Amino acid sequence: MHKIFALVRASWLVGASYRMAIITSFGSLIVTVVPVFYIARALQPMMGKVVQGQGGDFFGFVLVGMVAFMFIGIAVGTLPGIISGSVSSGTLEAYLTTPSSLPTVLAGLMSYDFLWSFARAVVLVITGAILGAHIAWGKSLLAIGILALIVLSYLPFGILGASLMLWFRTTGPLPKAVIGLSGFLGGVYYPTHVIPSWLHSVSSAIPLTYGLRALRRVMLEGKPLSAVAPDLGILMLFIVGLCALSVLAFSRALHDAKRTGSLAQY
Amino acid sequence: MTVTLTRPGAPAQITRVNDSATMVRVDGLTKRFPVRRGWMETIRHPVARQHATALAGVTFTVERSEFFGLLGENGAGKTTLFKILASLIVPDAGTVTVNGLDVVKDSARVRGLLAPVIADERSLNWRLSARENLRLFAALHNLHGAAGEQRVNELMEITGIADTGSKMVGQFSSGMKQRLLIARALLSRPSVLLLDEPTRSLDPLGARRFREFLRDEIVARQRCTVLIATHRAEEALELCDRIAILDRGVVRAVGTPTELASRIVGERYYLWTLAPSHPALACLAAQGTVTNVVTGERDEDGWTRVQLEIPGGPRTASDVIAALAAEHMPIASFERVRLPLAELIERIVANRGTVMADA
Repeated sequence: MHKIFALVRASWLVGASYRMAIITSFGSLIVTVVPVFYIARALQPMMGKVVQGQGGDFFGFVLVGMVAFMFIGIAVGTLPGIISGSVSSGTLEAYLTTPSSLPTVLAGLMSYDFLWSFARAVVLVITGAILGAHIAWGKSLLAIGILALIVLSYLPFGILGASLMLWFRTTGPLPKAVIGLSGFLGGVYYPTHVIPSWLHSVSSAIPLTYGLRALRRVMLEGKPLSAVAPDLGILMLFIVGLCALSVLAFSRALHDAKRTGSLAQY
Repeated sequence: MTVTLTRPGAPAQITRVNDSATMVRVDGLTKRFPVRRGWMETIRHPVARQHATALAGVTFTVERSEFFGLLGENGAGKTTLFKILASLIVPDAGTVTVNGLDVVKDSARVRGLLAPVIADERSLNWRLSARENLRLFAALHNLHGAAGEQRVNELMEITGIADTGSKMVGQFSSGMKQRLLIARALLSRPSVLLLDEPTRSLDPLGARRFREFLRDEIVARQRCTVLIATHRAEEALELCDRIAILDRGVVRAVGTPTELASRIVGERYYLWTLAPSHPALACLAAQGTVTNVVTGERDEDGWTRVQLEIPGGPRTASDVIAALAAEHMPIASFERVRLPLAELIERIVANRGTVMADA
């Protein structure tokens, strides 16, 4: 934990040295959420019934979708970005010459992005609540737990992307495909039951579908853990399967990178 | 006319490393890298693979607290060798041990013993101060709390960057960044330090100061074993106890600069004479007792400087003087000069057919 904390601290100090970026990072949230509020309010008469099973408030529905979507973007995109940047700069090589394990180093480097996103998510939710979204604050811990499971179910895509980065120096279309499909078919801006039936099978193969449904029911309706257990069970299956696959791929990619000497080829 | 030497020259003896004092042992190290092929070549022969050999059976040893130089041209394999030592690259064949630990099988323990300075200054965090850079790596080296802080302070003092305050590393000069890289490498009190062309971005004065720092602090006080890869011959000559000449992935020679000079080209001398074309000298040259005779400048009093090399060491040299004196060759001075290391390397590399490693 000391090492992860040190890496988070260093990332924070670097992040804090870009003051304008910090201001715009939070400022952009406000700029985004206010128009969403007005659009959602305008659509409420039509969408209220559609989202009845997930809170009934369309603004709250979209707000929670935005929070989850922000996290899956981090889960999928951060690790390949870290690998790409640190290989190019030579910092990965420097980290690997210390007695710290690669998983520890990567966890430390990623943690900052997740903590930063968490801070942004809190601001987003509070702003949403101020604008009128009904949030079940009493279920915050359970909601954070579900959010963590959503992240864990998408982290394997990030690990796969990092493996591709080690092998080919590019992730190809993987992150965009995963994020795009999840955005359109995972129920971020509308519930999955309104999408055409022939796309339902694709939607049911997306972890976000289950995670987001559970998250909304907890955050917006205040449902207990037992009510969302089936969705979380499916999410867990995704996590186990995808984690095994991605860890295998990454181990192989790292071994190949050490064999071909590409860990520090700028 | 025949000139006879009183004693035949004996080949120079090379000191062998005592096994019990060995810190780094490289044995038969081989590494090949796949070569990127063009599109057409890949389409024509999709399965075929091409490889470039970076290291071919490299073997040598380094003693504890020794300053060991790896010299060679760009692409000779120095950086690959260092990266294998630092367990960043897996070798194809051969073994490397550091203090008896295999760098592949015991990589985690080796990383605790050995600190490479092979990444360039970009591997520093440019948006952090020197202190914050060191704090981060202290934590990664399991140095926490007061112990870590004390080590950071100590190293900032030693490397002369204590007064940099909160200045970001991006605003440092190259010399300061180099010092910070060294400080970072020394955090874990390594037994072995790997330096890959450490003075490449320094001006001559900065490079000289840096070499003084390495000699006085790292070796004399910290008692580190240092392996330095460089293509600056004067740097190796000033710092290294022994050097290895690496050429196209093969160690061509290992030894002290003096040993290598005497083994490979013999000793070089300047002879001041009134008769540079004296038959005795010509005869010795014809016999091969003296080689590479070059007649140089002639001063206003008529003395000419003749440069010559005498394979076989100082005894042969004294026999040559005696033989020339016996033939009444007028000699004012006979002095031994050090062969420039760069010239030595050039000769070794030119003589690729003969491998002269002693390890």
